[in-house]
Amino acid sequence: MTVAVPTKNLADWHSPSTRPEVIHELIHGVDRYNPTNLPFMEEYLLSEIKEGQYDLFANLAILKLYQFNPQHSNPDIIIHILIKNLSATVHGPDYNLSLGLLREPSAILHDIESDDESLITIVPFLTNLHELIRTCQFTNFWKELNGDSEAANIIKSRFLPSHAHPIDDLRFQFSLSIASCFSSITLTQLGRWLDLSSSSEISSWCEKVGWTVQGDKAVVPKNGDNDVKAGVVKENVQLNQLTKLVAAAAY
Amino acid sequence: MADPTAFYEPEEDELLSSLAVPVQSYNPDSEADEYRRLQELEQHAYAQQQMMVAEQEQEQLAALEQVPEDVKRFLVLFHQAILENDLPTITNMYESGWNKLSQAHYAQNEWPEAELISPLVQNDQVFLTLYRELYFRHVYAKLQPTIDDRFQSYENICELFNYLLNSEGPVPLDLPIQWLWDMLDEFVYQFSSFASWRANPKNKNEEELEALAEAQHIWSCYSVLNVLYSLVQKSQINEQLKAEKEGKSPEEVAEIAGEYGSKPLYRNLGYFSLICLLRVHVLLGDPTLALQTMEHVDLSGGAFLTRITACHVTTYYHVGCAYMSLGRWPDAIKTFISVLIFFIRMKQYHTRSYQYGSIAKQCERMYALLAICTTLSPGPSDESIMSIVKEHYADQLAILQRGGDEALETFKDLYLSASPKYLNVNPPPYEDPSALESYLANPPIDATQRFLELFLSDVVAVRGVSNVRNLLKLYTSIDAAKLVAFSEGEQEEEVLQQLMVLKAASRTYAKGQGEATLLDGERIVTNNLDFTIDGSMVHVEETTSHRRFAGFFIRNAEHAQRVYNTIRSSPLPIQRKPASAGQTAAGQQQEKNESKKVGGAWKPQRARVAAQ
Repeated sequence: MTVAVPTKNLADWHSPSTRPEVIHELIHGVDRYNPTNLPFMEEYLLSEIKEGQYDLFANLAILKLYQFNPQHSNPDIIIHILIKNLSATVHGPDYNLSLGLLREPSAILHDIESDDESLITIVPFLTNLHELIRTCQFTNFWKELNGDSEAANIIKSRFLPSHAHPIDDLRFQFSLSIASCFSSITLTQLGRWLDLSSSSEISSWCEKVGWTVQGDKAVVPKNGDNDVKAGVVKENVQLNQLTKLVAAAAY
Repeated sequence: MADPTAFYEPEEDELLSSLAVPVQSYNPDSEADEYRRLQELEQHAYAQQQMMVAEQEQEQLAALEQVPEDVKRFLVLFHQAILENDLPTITNMYESGWNKLSQAHYAQNEWPEAELISPLVQNDQVFLTLYRELYFRHVYAKLQPTIDDRFQSYENICELFNYLLNSEGPVPLDLPIQWLWDMLDEFVYQFSSFASWRANPKNKNEEELEALAEAQHIWSCYSVLNVLYSLVQKSQINEQLKAEKEGKSPEEVAEIAGEYGSKPLYRNLGYFSLICLLRVHVLLGDPTLALQTMEHVDLSGGAFLTRITACHVTTYYHVGCAYMSLGRWPDAIKTFISVLIFFIRMKQYHTRSYQYGSIAKQCERMYALLAICTTLSPGPSDESIMSIVKEHYADQLAILQRGGDEALETFKDLYLSASPKYLNVNPPPYEDPSALESYLANPPIDATQRFLELFLSDVVAVRGVSNVRNLLKLYTSIDAAKLVAFSEGEQEEEVLQQLMVLKAASRTYAKGQGEATLLDGERIVTNNLDFTIDGSMVHVEETTSHRRFAGFFIRNAEHAQRVYNTIRSSPLPIQRKPASAGQTAAGQQQEKNESKKVGGAWKPQRARVAAQ
């Protein structure tokens, strides 16, 4: 795992380096509307899950196909995509982008005449988790996820096991939020937010993301967000703003 | 306006006689023809049937006579201009003649049916299809379209696109870009109008329900996307734009464009289709795909799309809305502001356009969206535009900034009034009466409502931010425990979580200067106030920015230069009585010489004094 530093640009968000050329071609062309590609796309999603990779745009293309071909909707795939969204970003738009392409769970199930109603309980549960994540209520998030509700149990028993390292992905995302705020943080607070109970777990996590433990605190290296300096923004005039004036003066 | 027949009075007689079927001599001639033909037909076995057809034709001819003369003349000349691909004339007739005649004769009713006027244009099917396109557009704009109008306008536009796309080779037609844009713009408008009409099965009569059950494909999302993507592919527009961006020569671009794309008609249709795709994707709730579609389209000041105001405004509006869905507020703000500045400057030239009303409305919506965006991501932005926002939405802005439930309600109202009218991809199940009944009993949430909720969840997620920010402004450093004392009933942990939300709310990704696509973004800081937490100690730092003067001076210096140039190139006022001869006259002479050299070199005053 890499050092917890917020990504500097969105290149990897819209075109991840792990995306194969064939997928790239597919989602940039009209073939993305062809429902016969669904099995192929779904397979790509499953490999993302297994390898712990993330390709938002390819996943949205799957949801788009479901949108146009409701009879092909696969509730399990939808849940996998939503879980992927949650573990990929704290403040990004990903989860809501997926929701934007989905109708109410009951309508989706109605179109495929499925008896499995778990989607109806799981989507609101995941949406609640998403609200907790984006408002940084990490402690409550873990409480919900580790809780004993029906949805939490289905997710933990049926879905999370297929993902490569979902819990660590979540922790890593939370660590990014922490790293952008804190130059140092108490280990107890860290433990609560990352759902790590023993001090050895905490210190090995700190090591993983490049933080050092000093006494009862973890020190986060400077990353541009947690070492802000008061500055003065001065006005910069670009030469091209002055072209007209210079041209006028040249006569 | 008093005499509508004056509009298309041909200027010269020879123009009329040069037409294939001169209007004046048309009716008597063809009636005679008709008569002769009828006599022959009587000998046929199925004369009776033919009689009826002939009777119908007679009726049509009689109806045609009801059509005002100037309209007939207009149509004949319009047909002629299109046959000759005479762009200036087509443009003039399309932009002014059609609208004037609509105002004069068809303010309350439809233009004549295409079948009726077909003898005027030798039954030219291509012209009739184009005519119907205008006919239906008029119905949608001025009258209430019936279900038949909706169906027929769909079939007609499909016929037109079919002709363009599936003829053998590119068609020998050329139309002004304004028309091409309007055509595609109207296509998407009629689609969205139909989709929202179809989405509500209530208040539909038997006939309409039956028609909707049978015609699933009409105005379906698939067919609309299909048309737009086909135009994009046929014209190779993406490849063309890419090649242009890479700086390839016009010859190379033409080669890439191929047989179709090198024709202006196809190229322009392809280009506008990209923008329509942007729009459709936004309406269907897929902002990432919308921005991805615009990958190769240049949005800068001199881009092709800025040549048509309606297109310019629509593009920026939808790009801005897509950015809003991505939570990229600064990008949305920048997009809206840049087009609003443009619109204010262009306003004076566009009041006569028939779309002016809808363009102005779309701009009004952007002011409302700006009120939303600038509240969610406060920061310096263009003062002139923001002053208009403050003027129009003073009360709402005050409520938004106060926060709380009332603010949420205001966010909701503003968003509903200004957001695009989102559409559901899937229509209600008209084909299955029982499913339709259960659909009616338990209708799904309407698309706009769904997107409203997603938007509000974005707002709710950052609702505490402005309070914390205001509190932090008072300190240079403060213990988190102390902050807890200010926020009732919250634990230290919750306060720290609030701080993390604040931190995230002052960071976002924004499109950089030279970047390639709309989706790209660099991480930026959006607020002056920033902080670091060391353990439980919050250190606050505020970045101050100097007042910006350069822009002001540059603008005014350029303005002064323009004023100076105008004065210098305008003729001198004629002086009735030369005051006194000699020096004054000489000076005047000198000035006249100066003024004759329009665009000539500017001489410093010193030099002129010396010359005198």
